[in-house]
Amino acid sequence: MLVFALAVVLIAYAAASLGLSGKLDGLPLYIGVYVLLMLGAHAAVRRFAPHADPLLLPLAALLNGLGIVMIWRLAESGRNGNPGNQISGLASSAASMQVLWTGAGVIALVLVLAFIREARVLQRYTYTLGAVGLALLAIPAVLPDSMSYVNGAKVWIIIGGFSVEPGEFARLALAVFFAGYLVAKRDVLALAGNRFLGIDLPRPRDLGPVLITWAASLLILIFETDIGTSALFFGMFVAMIYIATQRTSWLLIGVLLFLGGTFITANLFQHVMERFTGWLHPFAHATGSGYQLVQGLEGMAFGGIFGTGLGQGQPYYTPLVQSDFIFSAFGEELGLVGVMALLLIFGLLVQRGLRAALQVKDPFSKLLAAGLSFVLALQVFVIVGGVTRLIPLTGITTPFLSEGGSSLVASWILVGLLIRVSDSARKPAPQPIQDEGMTQVVRAG
Amino acid sequence: MNRAILRISLACLAMFVLLLLNINYVQAFESNSLASQPGNIRVFDQQFKYQRGSIVADGDNTNLKIAESVQRGGAYHRYYPYGPEYAAITGYDSIYGQSGIEQAENKELAGTDPRLAVRNLTSLLTGKSKQGATVALTISPTAQNAAYQALLNDGGHPAAVVALNPETGAILAMASIPTYNPNELTTFNGAQLDKVDNELLRDPSQPLLNRAINATFPPGSSFKIVTSSAAFSQGLVANPNTNIPAPTVLTLPNGNLLHNDGDIACFNGDPTITEAFYLSCNTAFAKLGIKLTAPVLRNQSSLFGMNRSLNIPLSVSPSVLPTGNDWTDPSLTAFSAIGQYNDEVSPLQEAMFSAAIENGGKLMTPYMVQEVIDPADLSVIQSQSPSVLSQAVSPQVAGDVKSMMLQVTQNPGGTAYQTAGPPATSIVIYGKTGTAENGLTPTQSPDDAVFSCFVPAGESGAPDPIAVGVIVQGGGFGADAAAPIAVQIIKAYEARS
Repeated sequence: MLVFALAVVLIAYAAASLGLSGKLDGLPLYIGVYVLLMLGAHAAVRRFAPHADPLLLPLAALLNGLGIVMIWRLAESGRNGNPGNQISGLASSAASMQVLWTGAGVIALVLVLAFIREARVLQRYTYTLGAVGLALLAIPAVLPDSMSYVNGAKVWIIIGGFSVEPGEFARLALAVFFAGYLVAKRDVLALAGNRFLGIDLPRPRDLGPVLITWAASLLILIFETDIGTSALFFGMFVAMIYIATQRTSWLLIGVLLFLGGTFITANLFQHVMERFTGWLHPFAHATGSGYQLVQGLEGMAFGGIFGTGLGQGQPYYTPLVQSDFIFSAFGEELGLVGVMALLLIFGLLVQRGLRAALQVKDPFSKLLAAGLSFVLALQVFVIVGGVTRLIPLTGITTPFLSEGGSSLVASWILVGLLIRVSDSARKPAPQPIQDEGMTQVVRAG
Repeated sequence: MNRAILRISLACLAMFVLLLLNINYVQAFESNSLASQPGNIRVFDQQFKYQRGSIVADGDNTNLKIAESVQRGGAYHRYYPYGPEYAAITGYDSIYGQSGIEQAENKELAGTDPRLAVRNLTSLLTGKSKQGATVALTISPTAQNAAYQALLNDGGHPAAVVALNPETGAILAMASIPTYNPNELTTFNGAQLDKVDNELLRDPSQPLLNRAINATFPPGSSFKIVTSSAAFSQGLVANPNTNIPAPTVLTLPNGNLLHNDGDIACFNGDPTITEAFYLSCNTAFAKLGIKLTAPVLRNQSSLFGMNRSLNIPLSVSPSVLPTGNDWTDPSLTAFSAIGQYNDEVSPLQEAMFSAAIENGGKLMTPYMVQEVIDPADLSVIQSQSPSVLSQAVSPQVAGDVKSMMLQVTQNPGGTAYQTAGPPATSIVIYGKTGTAENGLTPTQSPDDAVFSCFVPAGESGAPDPIAVGVIVQGGGFGADAAAPIAVQIIKAYEARS
C-alpha cells in the first residue's frame, strides 16, 4: 500500500514538472528524502505497532506527498522561468521546508509510537495535558500582535522568524484531556435531570464543564479572531461528551450553545459578520472581502471535471492558495475527479480511525480515537466546506496538504495516536497464562 | 459507547457526502456560470494564452485575413491588417470586451464553442495547443474597399453603406464613417486602453457607432418603394402605367399642407405612377398612403423586414414604422408614406428594400458569416445556407416596382439619371433616391441623402447581382450625395475578375 502511495506521489510530481516547464527536471532531493522518510515511518510502525491498521500510514503518506508536490508546484509559479505569478508569502524554499516539517512529523510519529506503548498511559496526564492545551490556546491571545498576528488571525507564536500555531497541538492535548475527564465523569454527566420536550436534560450542576469549554471557545473567537479553531475545539468536545454519555441532550445543548455564541459574536464583531456576508454574497464583494473565495471557486470551476493538469492551471490568482485554499488548487489542477479522490482518502482515514475506536476495548482509548477521528473529519469539513462555499469560510489548515509545519506535525501525531489505538485494538488476545498486570487488560472495557 | 461512535461515524459520513455533493455542484454544474462571472481572471487570461481564430473576408473566395492573432512576447495579440476599413465588420477584441464579429462569434473565435470541444480534447492529448476557429465572412474585399473609399470621399459627412447579394442575403460590404482603428484597442496596457476608449466614447462624431446597422434615419422618398408595393399589392393601382392624382400641394385632412420637393408641379397633376415615382412626387404617394391606411403600410414595411430585430449575426437595430399616439391619423400616414414622420430605417434596410425587388419579391435573410472552420483539419463546423426572411411582394408586383426603379436612373427626367444613369455608368442600375428631412432646419443641417438600388444578374454585362443601401447624414440630395457611392461600389464589384 505504501509503495502504491509513493508511486502516486512520484507520478504527481512528474506530471507537475511536465505541466510547468514541459520537461522532466529529474527527481529533486527532497522528493527522495520524502520517500526515505515514509519508508522509515513504515519501519517504525512495523517495529512499534505491528498489529496496527495497515491503511493508516499509506493514507497519511499519500496526502502528505501530494501536499508537497502541490506546494512545490505553487512555489515554482513565476520562478525559474515557469508561468504564473509568484505567490505572496510563499518562499522558493517552501517545498524543502515542507519536507523538513514532514521529517519532524515522522519523528513525532516515531516518538509517539515508541514512548506511548498503550494509549491509556496518557490517561495519567489528563489534567496536565488539559492545562497545557488551554495554555497553548491562550498564549497567542496574550502575546502582542507582532508576535501572534498573521493574516487576520491571532493564533501564532512568532519568535525570531520562526512561527508555531499552538492551536494545532492544543487540540491534541485537549482531546486527551477530554477523553480522560469524560471517562472519569461520564456516569455523573449521564445522570438525568429535568425532562424537556421529551429529552432528558442533564443536571444543571453538570453543565459546568460544557459551559467552561463553550466560554473558552468564545474567548478564542473573540481574542484570536479564529472561528475555525473554536468550531473544531467545541465540536470535538460536544462529540466526545456525546460518545461518553450517549445522551442526545448534550448534542442539542452543544449545538444550541455554538449557534447562540456565533450569533452573538457575529453581531458584536465586524470580522465575524464579514465572514457571513462573504459567504452569502461573495460575488457582490468579488473585488473586496469575497475576492479570495471567488478566486478559489472560479479556479475550481475552471478546472471542471478533469482539471487543467498539474502545473497548467492558474492557482496563483487565489490568495493564500498554499495554506487555507490548497484544496481549491487541487480542484483547479486535478479537477472534480482529483478532489473527489482526495476527499475519499480523507474519508477513509477517518473511517479507519473510527474503526479502531469501535474495536478497542479500553474506554479511554476508544474515546480518544473517536474524538481524534471526528475532529479530523470536522477539520476537513470546515475548511473544504469553506473554500467550496458550503459553509462560511474560516481560515484553518487542510490536514497534511496545507503548507505549514505545526499543522503537519500535529496531523502526524494524530495519525500516530490512531495507529497506536488501532494496534491495541487488533493485537491478538493475550495468552491465558500471564502475569497479573496483563489480566487488567481483559477486565477493562 | 459503540452505538454513539457509530452515530458519530454517520455524522462524519454525512459531512463527507455533503462535501462531495457540493464540489460536484461547483465543478460540474456551476462551472459555466462561474466562468461567465464578470472579471473571471482565468477565463480572461485564457484569451491571450491561445491563438484566437482569424476572421477572413471570403466573399470572392479571397480568404483575406482581416483579423488575426499574432504571437508577441509569449502572448497572442489581436491584429487587424486593414484597421479602420473593416472596423464596422470585425469590431475589436480588447481586454475589456468585444464588439462586431469579435463579439458575435466570440465562442467560435475563442475556441470555447461546444462544437470545438472534441478537437480541443484531442489536441490536449496530442499536445498541440488550443486554437480558435476561423470565421469566414461573405464580405467581398473588392466591394468593401470600394465602399470604404467612397465613404471617405463623401465630403466629411457621417455615412454608411451596406451591399448584399439580393439572391442569397450574403452581405458583400458594410462600412460606416467616422470610424476608428481597432488596432488601437488591442493593447494590454489598461491605462492606455482606458485613454483610447474614453477618447472614442467622448468623441461627438461617435466613431464606435456602426451606422450601417445600428443607426436609423428617415428613409424619405426611398420609402416610396414600400408605398408603391402596397398600392400594387392591394390593387389600389393596377399597373405602372395607371394614372394617379398628384396635386402640387396636397391639403391634408387636418388642414395642413404637404408639398412636393421644391414645390414643383408633377406633370399635369395626373401622372402615371411610374412618372410620379421617378420624379419622386410627394403628393401622389401621400395620397396613396392615406388610401392605404397606416396598418396596411406598416404591414407592407414588416414584409420588407422592418419592425423586427435581426442578427446577421451582429445585432441590427430595428428599422421601424412605429405605432404610437395617433399613428393611424391619415394626416400623419400621408407623411409616413413618403418616409417622413416617424419612419426610421438603417442603411441595411435600404439595401433590403432593393434586394427584395431584385429577387422577385422574395426577401432573403441577410447574413455575414459564411462558414466557421476548424483550423486543425479545415473541417467546416458551421455553414450558412441562404434562407427566405419573407415574401415581401408577389413576383408580379416586384416586376412592376422594378420597372419604375429602372426609370429613376434611365429616364432623363429621373432623379438619379445624372449620377446613377448612363452619364455615370454603362451598368443599368435600378434605384430610388431619397432626400429626407432629418428634423433639423436646413441651416443646422442639410437633409439626409438616401439611395437604395440594385443590379440584377446578367443584365448589361454585370455578372453578379448586388443590392446597395446608402445613407449620407446631412448629405443633401440623395441623387447627388448617396447615389455616387453606390455606383462606385457596383462598378468595382462587377468589374472584379
